[in-house]
Amino acid sequence: MKTVDIEVCFFAALRERFGERMLRTVPRGTTLAKLWRQLTAEASGLERLPVRFAVRERYVEPSYVVRQGDEVSIFPPVSGGA
Amino acid sequence: MFEIRSRRLDVARVLAAVRDPAAGAVVVFTGTTRRTNAGRRVVRLEYEAHEAMALREMRRLAAEAKGRWGLRKVAMVHRVGLVPVGEPSVVIAVSAGHREEAFAAGRWLIDRLKEIVPIWKKERYRDGAVWIGAQQGGPPRRRAIYPARRGR
Repeated sequence: MKTVDIEVCFFAALRERFGERMLRTVPRGTTLAKLWRQLTAEASGLERLPVRFAVRERYVEPSYVVRQGDEVSIFPPVSGGA
Repeated sequence: MFEIRSRRLDVARVLAAVRDPAAGAVVVFTGTTRRTNAGRRVVRLEYEAHEAMALREMRRLAAEAKGRWGLRKVAMVHRVGLVPVGEPSVVIAVSAGHREEAFAAGRWLIDRLKEIVPIWKKERYRDGAVWIGAQQGGPPRRRAIYPARRGR
C-alpha cells in the first residue's frame, strides 16, 4: 500500500494531549476526518470535540485528502478575545 | 495594524493606528477577562495562538469588514502568554465615516475573531485549569469558517 508522510501540529488542549507535533505515515487517500478518527481512537474522550483543520496555514475541510509532506494543524474550538 | 504580542497592550497605540482625516467615528473595543467565570475565581490566564494563521485570519476579517462597511482603517491586536486578570487581551479599533458603520463593524469583528481566529485561552483556578472551548462537545459552530468558494 502506498503511504504519505505528514506532520501534525496540535494546539492548546490537544497539544497537552498529543504533544506539539507528530510525524505520521498514513495510507494514500487518507482524509483529515479519517486521520482525526485514528487519533481519537488512540486517545479516548475527544471523539465529540468539534475540531478544525488547517493545512499550510489555511483552514481546510475535513474531507481534504492529505498529501506527501503536508503540515496539518488540528485546532480545538478557539477561545480568543477575552 | 495586526499583531500578536506577549506584552501589555497599549490601547492608545491601537487607536492611533486607525486615525484618518476622513473618519468621523472611531470605535475601540477592548476585551478583558473577568475575575470570575462560571462561578470560579480565575487566578491566572494564558493565551496561545497559531500566530501566523491568527494574523492571516485577522487580516482576512478586516478586509471583509472594510468591504462590507466601507471603513477607513482597522487595527486588531491580541495578547498571548500570561495575561494578568483585568488587563486587556484583545483590542480592536475601526474608523469610518459615520458611527453606524464603526459600531457595526467593531461588533462584527470581535464576534468573528472569537469564532474563527486560532487563539485559545486557558483559565487557571486555585484548584485546576481549563482550556476554554475544549470541554466535552465544545460550543456549537454558528457560522462557516471557510472562505466562500469561488464558482468554477
